[in-house]
Amino acid sequence: MPEIDPTDHEIAELGPKIKDVDDADELREMLELEESGEDRAPVKTLIESRIEKLEEEDEEVDPSSADLDDMTVADIANLVRDVDDVTVLEDMLEREQAGQDRKTAKGQIEDRIESIEGSEDEAGEELEYVPPEEKHPDLDHPTNDKQWVENIDGGTYRDMWVYCETQHGELIDVSREMLGKARELMDDYNDRYGVSDEVGGSEDSSSGGDEDGNPEDVVAVLIGDGASDLTEEVIAYGADRVVYHEDDRLERFRHEPYTEIFCSMARAGGQVADEDHEDVEWKEYDEPRYTVFPATNNGRDLSALVQGELDSGLASDCSGLYIEEAMISNPAKTGKPGDSKEFDRILHMKRPDFSGFEYSTILCIDKPFRDFHPQGASVIPGSFEIPEADPEREGEVIDFDMDLNDDWFQVEVTDFDTLDSGIDLTGHDVIVAMGRGIGDAPTEGIELGLDLVDAFDDAAFGLSRGVITSSYDFDGHVEQYIGEDRQIGESGQVVEPDVYIAAGISGAIQHKVGMDESDTIIAINTDPDADISGFSDYYIEGDLFEVLPRLTEAVESGELAAAVAEASDD
Amino acid sequence: MTDDYEHYEAVVVGAGPGGAAAAATLARNGIETLVLERGVDAGSKNVSGGLLYAEESSPYTIDDLFPGFREEASDREVTEHYIHNIAGRNVKTFDLHDLHHHDTEWADSVLRRKMDSWLAREVHEMTRETGGGLLTEVRVNGLLREGAEIVGVTLDELDPIKADVIIGADGVNSELARDAGLMDWEEPDEWFQGVKAVAQMPEGAIEERFDVDEDEGVAHLFSGDLFENVRGGGFLYTNDQSLSIGTVFHLDSIADQRAEPQELLDNLLTHPLLADWIGDEYTELEYSAKLVPDSKKVAHPSPYRDRLLLVGDAAGQMQAQGPIIKGMNHAVTAGALAAEAFVDAKSRGDTSAAGERYVTKLENEGVMDKLRPTRYRTLGRLGEVGPVASAMNAVTDSVVGRTAISALGDRAESLFNSPFLMGMLPDTRMGYVTVPTVVAEQLGSPVEGESTVEPPELDDRIGDLTYDVDEGNPHIELRDNSFAASGTAVTACPVSAKDFGGGCYRDEYVGSNGTEEHVVSLDTQPCVECGTCAVVADTNWTHPRGGKGVEYEQG
Ligand SMILES: Cc1cc2nc3c(=O)[nH]c(=O)nc-3n(C[C@H](O)[C@H](O)[C@H](O)COP(=O)(O)OP(=O)(O)OC[C@H]3O[C@@H](n4cnc5c(N)ncnc54)[C@H](O)[C@@H]3O)c2cc1C
Ligand SMILES: Cc1cc2nc3c(=O)[nH]c(=O)nc-3n(C[C@H](O)[C@H](O)[C@H](O)COP(=O)(O)OP(=O)(O)OC[C@H]3O[C@@H](n4cnc5c(N)ncnc54)[C@H](O)[C@@H]3O)c2cc1C
Ligand code: SF4
Repeated sequence: MPEIDPTDHEIAELGPKIKDVDDADELREMLELEESGEDRAPVKTLIESRIEKLEEEDEEVDPSSADLDDMTVADIANLVRDVDDVTVLEDMLEREQAGQDRKTAKGQIEDRIESIEGSEDEAGEELEYVPPEEKHPDLDHPTNDKQWVENIDGGTYRDMWVYCETQHGELIDVSREMLGKARELMDDYNDRYGVSDEVGGSEDSSSGGDEDGNPEDVVAVLIGDGASDLTEEVIAYGADRVVYHEDDRLERFRHEPYTEIFCSMARAGGQVADEDHEDVEWKEYDEPRYTVFPATNNGRDLSALVQGELDSGLASDCSGLYIEEAMISNPAKTGKPGDSKEFDRILHMKRPDFSGFEYSTILCIDKPFRDFHPQGASVIPGSFEIPEADPEREGEVIDFDMDLNDDWFQVEVTDFDTLDSGIDLTGHDVIVAMGRGIGDAPTEGIELGLDLVDAFDDAAFGLSRGVITSSYDFDGHVEQYIGEDRQIGESGQVVEPDVYIAAGISGAIQHKVGMDESDTIIAINTDPDADISGFSDYYIEGDLFEVLPRLTEAVESGELAAAVAEASDD
Repeated sequence: MTDDYEHYEAVVVGAGPGGAAAAATLARNGIETLVLERGVDAGSKNVSGGLLYAEESSPYTIDDLFPGFREEASDREVTEHYIHNIAGRNVKTFDLHDLHHHDTEWADSVLRRKMDSWLAREVHEMTRETGGGLLTEVRVNGLLREGAEIVGVTLDELDPIKADVIIGADGVNSELARDAGLMDWEEPDEWFQGVKAVAQMPEGAIEERFDVDEDEGVAHLFSGDLFENVRGGGFLYTNDQSLSIGTVFHLDSIADQRAEPQELLDNLLTHPLLADWIGDEYTELEYSAKLVPDSKKVAHPSPYRDRLLLVGDAAGQMQAQGPIIKGMNHAVTAGALAAEAFVDAKSRGDTSAAGERYVTKLENEGVMDKLRPTRYRTLGRLGEVGPVASAMNAVTDSVVGRTAISALGDRAESLFNSPFLMGMLPDTRMGYVTVPTVVAEQLGSPVEGESTVEPPELDDRIGDLTYDVDEGNPHIELRDNSFAASGTAVTACPVSAKDFGGGCYRDEYVGSNGTEEHVVSLDTQPCVECGTCAVVADTNWTHPRGGKGVEYEQG
């Protein structure tokens, strides 16, 4: 009989009591009592988790000294799973032979050894390729192979290809970020891989690189109507080679031609090249080893289409990349159950799951009779740093010649809209911004501000958030000027005009960060101690309803410009 | 087709102490559990004063459920507890030793970002084993119903999710409780408003200034006339490297007196009594605020509907035991009991009985009686009725009352230490202001010294907070912007003030042609999601979408 009969107690009392019992057998007896008595689930869990805890404490067995005779085969199977050291395993095997010599136990240990070392009788045993139709005669539609894509087996692959997306004829930041990352990865790759060791330990880093010791490159791909203008820039950001195709019809992104062009480039010169590109001077291998795309709207489209067309996979929306070996035991990849095989030069593609709580690392690995190259990823913008551009860098530029099929342009862009980015307050000489100081007569306040704007040659009209979120009753003719698209500050626009005039604005930190890089700041405020006084060049203590008209007058007569010019000269 | 929705055995909404306790208990029993939290990280939305009690009489304490909690997630073990009765410079201090240690296994100071994010990592590991996990940055925005029956939750970021049990641990201003019709946000006298500043302390300062060891801490409470007749009190707790200094007031009192919560907090911060503790350099790490339910009035006697079980603040289970505030511990107990109820119900093949079982457990484990003491139900309420209250007030403040208190002398201390008395004190000025003030005047002596503390202005406090603004998606909408309907929020909102243009609520006069209207305007960007204006103003009030809004580093 255990000391405590759980059925005599409330759950509440049992918690602390059970914690003091240190004998698992006694706990088991208690569990039985509870089961035959009240059978309360929480009480049972309480007892069970205590038993588990005690057993865990005992459990921590060291495989190199564990007494195997005491263990069941299942225990041994669990134990060996965490052992990676073959000598420890061999020692265990000997101990088992000397002890109970159970066949099943030995089998467990041997299996583990085998899966670490890889099977020894590998040589001689050739896997045989069975086409899916023969392998699965019962299926009328074997989906294992996609008949319509060109699959490769045992191909040659080199280089990291980076798709450099552009907008309005300029590189977007993520393109620069990817180039920087690719440069870093391939420099490291060329240092690490290669035949230098076998050749005789040459320290020369140029002997690192592909399987024959030739360094591999970062290849930038540019597609678009102004692609040739950007080749130097992508080299400056780290590309060794740029392949571009330019055509007026490629002014904006379209799935079909972009996919066709990219794939034609990727296949050029190799065994699956299209007719016009069977021989090119700049490339002999079959397909890129790695491809990297931006995870932007267009980049996501293109990456999925290209990787599908090239008969490989895609890890989308990644935030980390590195190249390393991978130990794989999945028979679909190794070709034989029980085997572990080391694959080298594998691009590890990390992507956030569960809203960033967890990461998965995706690997794209060849399997018997079918290669999975290029190993491709799309990358979340902002994941990597923009590198320092090096205008001195040199690289090879390839104008990729290709006829674009009219069929690819069947979809016609008849109209397009740039998302309304509203009013752009940047790039003006002067900004006049109004704050809640207009509260006594909001409409009039706005009118006075607009008058001042008109007095300058190139001025724009801005607001503090305090005005935008107010309930002021503006008259119709000024209402159009009140909106978030004129907000200056942390959650609005950031401006750096020559002259910033702030009327009735207190200068909250969130407003300040949007304007304090302005050359000359003029503030008008009734409160001599408003925060904005701390970062204004001119501080006019006064009522904006009186001061603004006079300022406007001064500007119109040219006095203010003179005064400011004089001041900014000192 | 609702049948296409993702299904889990249990969905827990909110990863505060209540949600964490529920999820851990469910996971330990092998229930497939998904936890949903709207913050970028658990704790990033949460505020407490910071004393977490483990009660001896409680069936579950947090370290039962999370071994390692005290080493990893809490700050100091608080062993000393004082209350200071203040009248001007006069202070009379009582040692609350007995009240503090009554039924207390231990009490630790905590900061919620550190505590909740640690709990969340543990919970994620545990629930993942069951096929679930913990998701952050997702906000539950309502209940999923089939016909009239609650069967799951709907979210801003994901498709609806069905579950056999939904644990609503979404804290005060629970949108789930409101949706289910179990709680409303109408009456200010059912809530407290808590406001807190976390002040940085130099290395070694806490040990020296409070005369404690490195892992020991102190709690100080304050009441009397320093809060301008607003009913409530102040606290100061020692953390590892900082002080939590704050106030908790009855919301109706804040509202009626048009009090500015940040100014009341400043009154405490700048009182000479605190000068030596705070020191010459006052560095405020964070300003924060949140409502707290008053369990005496709102702890729901039957906090469930269909598959939805409410725990913690969501069910109003926040006990003010006189000046001692116990919310987190009850949330833990209730969370674990709700989980237990579901496990029991499941093992008997009828998961729909979970709610009933939960209610029975709350009663049987004595939780309900702590939250809604019968003594208060009969005596306390009576004392709050207008004429009685003012009569009592007048008596205490009269010559007779004063003489009585003087005569009590130090025996007054033992009255403060009676959990029984503290549980039935009516919520009137007498308890909070009159008695402490008279005590201080009759029995206290003046403190020396001057405070050099200069608390930051509201705009700096807002400026120091981190926000992820949900541009163009204000989470609160004014239903009635007249000053009469919503004007109270201008003062009661802890990040708004009269004559301050940078707050959430600002009063304005608009109109032309001679007809001027007094209105308020609202900008939710500086909002710290405290819940006050859900009660004192006429609003459509929700929490921001997942990950948006304020992010506390301390909490
Ligand atoms: C100033 C102050 C001082 C206090 N002092 C103390 C004290 O000293 N001791 C004490 O024990 N208690 C104290 N309390 C009370 C205590 O903080 C609460 O009682 C306790 O936090 C309640 O825990 P909970 O788990 O019910 O809710 P919470 O801790 O509020 O957790 C709710 C969680 O749900 C999440 N959530 C909310 N809505 C949603 C949604 N729709 N979707 C997804 N997630 C959501 C929130 O982000 C949060 O993480 C104090 C409170 C305040 C404000
Ligand atoms: C997360 C967050 C993001 C924010 N982002 C922004 C942002 O991007 N941009 C932004 O502007 N704000 C932003 N804010 C709001 C900001 O904190 C302030 O609330 C806002 O800038 C205040 O506007 P204001 O200066 O017009 O009003 P107030 O602060 O009310 O200042 C009005 C000023 O006018 C003066 N005044 C009154 N009458 C007169 C008169 N007759 N003549 C002259 N002067 C007078 C007063 O002395 C006072 O200084 C943000 C806030 C938060 C919390
Ligand atoms: S706006 Fe409302 S919820 Fe937000 S801080 Fe102010 S009172 Fe609290």
